Amino acid sequence: MSLSAFARTAPPARRKAPGRGWMRRRGAIVVSAVLTAVACVTLLPFYWMLSSSLRTMENMFRLPIQWLPWPPNWQAYALAWQAQDFTRYFLNSGLVAVAITLSNLLLCSLAGYSLTKFHYRGRGAMFLAILSTMMLPLEVTMVPLFLIIKRLDWANSYQGLIVPFLVDGFGVFLMRQYMMSIPKDLIDSARIDGASEFRIFWMIILPLCKPALVALAVFTFREAWDMYIWPLIIITKDSLRTLPLGISLFMSSYGTSWDQLMAIAVLGTLPMILLFFFLQRAFIQGIAATGLKE
Amino acid sequence: MSSQAPAANPWTPPAVRPPRSIVRRPHWSLARRQAAFGVAIILPTLAVLAVFRFLPMVQALYLSVTAYDLVHPPRFVGWANFASLLHDPLFLKSARVSITYVVCSVVPVLPLSLGLAVLFNQSVFIKNVLRSAIFMPVVMPAVVMAVVWTFMYQQDGVVNTLLGFLGIDPVPWLRSSATALWAVILIGIWRATPYYMVIFLAGLQAIPADYYDAAKIDGAGRWGTFRYITLPLLKPTMLLVIVMNVIVAMKVFAVPMIMTGGGPADSTRVLPLFIYQTGFEFFDMGRAAAMSVFLFVAVMVFSFVQVRLFTRGAESR
Repeated sequence: MSLSAFARTAPPARRKAPGRGWMRRRGAIVVSAVLTAVACVTLLPFYWMLSSSLRTMENMFRLPIQWLPWPPNWQAYALAWQAQDFTRYFLNSGLVAVAITLSNLLLCSLAGYSLTKFHYRGRGAMFLAILSTMMLPLEVTMVPLFLIIKRLDWANSYQGLIVPFLVDGFGVFLMRQYMMSIPKDLIDSARIDGASEFRIFWMIILPLCKPALVALAVFTFREAWDMYIWPLIIITKDSLRTLPLGISLFMSSYGTSWDQLMAIAVLGTLPMILLFFFLQRAFIQGIAATGLKE
Repeated sequence: MSSQAPAANPWTPPAVRPPRSIVRRPHWSLARRQAAFGVAIILPTLAVLAVFRFLPMVQALYLSVTAYDLVHPPRFVGWANFASLLHDPLFLKSARVSITYVVCSVVPVLPLSLGLAVLFNQSVFIKNVLRSAIFMPVVMPAVVMAVVWTFMYQQDGVVNTLLGFLGIDPVPWLRSSATALWAVILIGIWRATPYYMVIFLAGLQAIPADYYDAAKIDGAGRWGTFRYITLPLLKPTMLLVIVMNVIVAMKVFAVPMIMTGGGPADSTRVLPLFIYQTGFEFFDMGRAAAMSVFLFVAVMVFSFVQVRLFTRGAESR
């Protein structure tokens, strides 16, 4: 089933195998131990980033490793924040990511709705065309795309950062797959009740798509927050830099102030970590949905 | 009908004209009006994609046969860009680096992510905590990841310190052309593994439990169940994971750009990085476009498989 990523939100409770409780528990202990070891590897950079941001530069490379910097040195955060206009970079990144996310939610669900619940000539071709844009990553099209943006006079502008990403082929695919499971009768009965087409979409279809929309929102926001190559190409003005640009610039100008670099790294990751903890399910579903097929 | 005669008679009631709204609406059937709405709501998507995806692709094909430096107008040069690229040692090196990166960052991820997913599909203590912990690399922004790992890869950094505990001599990770690419590949694996683990988990959970029950009744052991039920049923997922991972790996940019800038000795200059530098540091747009065409062909081959996987299921509904 294509929607398994949505349908099974939490892993289903395993049925208890009868008997052999001790054997099962021993297996669980071994598996948990292996996974804990893996978790140490995946978490090490996070821990190292955080602890180094609180370490003084004298202790940065001292041996034996100071695993727990004590007393924590918070200075790096203030120093780094003031070294460049990070407030501005944060706001820019937030604005761009929110705008891209909102427009993707609207346009992808509209397109998905059109592709599943309406009949018109060329529908299949349109779907294929949209799907095939996934073959055209930015890394392939960046040179001419830059020329187009330049001709529109959108270099160094928010439009230039946002408009090319208003909608994405994968998002349309995702919404389409989800909307296929919405029964057509629902729409027909709303039509009989006299609801306008747009009202049906807004009041009936969208609320039904909430799980898919949340997953798409988190996925899109993450991608937009991560975006690096495109702002690097079209933004030269400091007041328009996004956070990834600010961080890489900071790295090239303060390359050895590791405490400050790590402080900025922590702050740049924080929004994603918060998003992950509050919308964990949606976050994982958004990822799992990229593996949707059949 | 003649309109004069009745009009002359004052006793004939004036002709009743239908209300304006009905007159002006084109006489479309209900189905046609619905279809029009359907087309109208997909148009914005098509417009954005046409202008910002398809148009640039067409333009890339055009630029690839020109010489263009942003100052002088593009000049047609035929196949010269492609021909000279194929003889350019830097380009060939870059293509080789990209292929090495793709192969070496994709191959280990498959067993790692599948293995983790299989482990998580068993009974595990504090499953949710462990799963979140292992998922964390996906959460870290790429630029942050590059900065943090650069720090960890320093000569006296934490990676070398930890290796020292195992009795391994310090490795000059990013300083040596022999190791820099491997350092970048390791990060790619670190980040991709949890991502595809999630996809495999979704795939595993879609396998009906009945199959396992039936296998158990038939006396299949753990390995037998995995080999003859899980693996065959996961085959489409595996194919998809490989294809997606190859495409992502072909596009890698932020990490090598920030960590090494392509060096030392061009050892980490992957193709997207080379395209960026050619286009936006040396302003040789025609040449950069020609390289993009090479990258496009590579991406297209794999995307084609992906799109097939996506649509095959869609059609069978």
